[in-house]
Amino acid sequence: MSRRRPLLLIAPAAGLIFFFVMLPYINVLVMSLRMPGADGKPYGPGFGMEAYAQFFAENYYLSALPHTLWLGIVTTAVCLVLGYPLALHIATASRRWRGLLYGIVLSPLLVGIVIRSYGWTILLGNTGVINKTLKDLGIITRPLKLMYNDFGVVLALAHVFLPFMVLPLLASLQGIDPAIGQAARSLGASRLTVFRRVTFPVSMPGVQSGCILVFVLAISSYVTPALIGGMRVKTTTILVVDALIDQFLWPFGSAMALVLAVSAGLIVIAFAMLTRMKWK
Amino acid sequence: MTEVSLLSLVKSYGGAPALRGISLNVGHGQFVSLLGPSGCGKSTTLRCIAGFEEVTDGRILFDGKDISRKLPEKRDIGMVFQSYALFPHLTVAQNLAFGLEMRKVPKAQIAERVAKTLDLVQLTPYAGRYPKALSGGQQQRVALGRALVIEPAILLLDEPLANLDAKLRDEMRGFIRDLQKRVGITTIYVTHDQNEAMTMSDLVVVMFDGDIAQAGTPEEIYNTPATEQVARFVGNANILDLPVAASGAGMAEVTLPGGAALSVPAPATPGARLGIMARPEQIALADAGQGHLQGRVTRRLFGGGYIDYEIATDCGVLAVQTPANVLAGEGAAVGLVLDPARLWPVARDAAA
Repeated sequence: MSRRRPLLLIAPAAGLIFFFVMLPYINVLVMSLRMPGADGKPYGPGFGMEAYAQFFAENYYLSALPHTLWLGIVTTAVCLVLGYPLALHIATASRRWRGLLYGIVLSPLLVGIVIRSYGWTILLGNTGVINKTLKDLGIITRPLKLMYNDFGVVLALAHVFLPFMVLPLLASLQGIDPAIGQAARSLGASRLTVFRRVTFPVSMPGVQSGCILVFVLAISSYVTPALIGGMRVKTTTILVVDALIDQFLWPFGSAMALVLAVSAGLIVIAFAMLTRMKWK
Repeated sequence: MTEVSLLSLVKSYGGAPALRGISLNVGHGQFVSLLGPSGCGKSTTLRCIAGFEEVTDGRILFDGKDISRKLPEKRDIGMVFQSYALFPHLTVAQNLAFGLEMRKVPKAQIAERVAKTLDLVQLTPYAGRYPKALSGGQQQRVALGRALVIEPAILLLDEPLANLDAKLRDEMRGFIRDLQKRVGITTIYVTHDQNEAMTMSDLVVVMFDGDIAQAGTPEEIYNTPATEQVARFVGNANILDLPVAASGAGMAEVTLPGGAALSVPAPATPGARLGIMARPEQIALADAGQGHLQGRVTRRLFGGGYIDYEIATDCGVLAVQTPANVLAGEGAAVGLVLDPARLWPVARDAAA
């Protein structure tokens, strides 16, 4: 009786996941194994590895994959470097300030991702706020290339996903007993050493989940790289949407999506293993 | 071994001062307890000594050297926290090695000293475990070992037993005291538990409201408290408010409601009133009509080796503790015998 109750309680969530996550995944997998269609049909009869073969044969598609993963890694690194001091500051701020800072960190999430990304185009464009100001001040004569390149994409992605780094870090840092730092100092550690040897390693669970979260969100994001990268920066995610919607190549798009998912999964697993905490 | 001196220590956070100029001397190898209710400034004092709080005024001396402006990491202290504050990401052995690594002790020596200290705190089999896999008492011993392995000038303990259950607390009390004696380290121990303070310390410092109310040996604090507040905080105390009949040569004679007279060591003028303290176990029961005072048993609690009585008298309700073989039922009329040699006058509280 008592053993069955929890199963009953997770049934709605399990049902939701089965019908709207598992089944679609299986569908994608099956679709990726179908043959390409002819005469405007999205796929043809029979099964095979055609779609995968095409992906690995065409450099245009294949080269986008490491590039996409690299953009994800750089975005994650930028978020960590920007987010950690921020989280540390919020975690040690007084109660009143903490609420306010928390709100400020969360506030970008209140605005849709399309609008936020579009906002960056206003700032970064050739005739955008930054270039226009610098030009008016006489600092530059030609506009700086701030968007339609990796720089702009990483910048915008980092902005969009920073809260997803800060929140787990904050949760982790706030859970640390302040006496631990004091104990380290009483044992002869300077502030810097306390951070290096105690605070940072103890906050690793937050670093881990923040990094994984930002990485998977960054490589799978579509709107931001599409708006900021334009036609120049083609991430695998953009190519998947192109294949599925514009070119009507369902098996090929599915195969590409799966390759991206598996690659990202491998990177996440490698990262989790590298940062494994025996003490948890 | 180090001598610690606090000279007119003041700590203020802007409002009412947390410490109102306390002075204290802790001798070589002494075990001193700071005892008081929460908010009395005992922890603040400890944190000032550790360097986690900056003193507003006054000085802290270690062996005559002023260390009040030094950073905590430069003070050469070992500290045990109420939460233990173990490093969760390090094993027991690594926790102990941390302070030695900070002191740039050679690796081979670290291993040797860690092993020795693990033995001292009886944790050798747990060297490779992470703190999470240890019980509260074991974590407590890791914290002790970590503070002692660096052989600090002084050992500071901030309510280290507060998170343990009663049985373990008793065990650890003896363990800490034995360890301290063996190592011979000057120790300052903060607690709100009068039992802990009295059983462990060479010197008990009772603090109220940011000030030292009394400093003395456990016997002095218990038997001859300076004020009613101290008397009541350190154990159970009956305070009898009695008129002075006669006085002279530093002694005062007070009269009890029944007419019996008692002599106590206090300068007083006839006609004034004195607060006389009698501990529950310093009052004996006698047959009704006998003794210094008459009363009726209103409550009787059997405590195993002793019995706690509550007895209504003309001096108010008094607590009396007798050996378990002294029997008087609830409602019985009894006589109370006071021990003149152990009566002690205390200054009444302003509010009382």
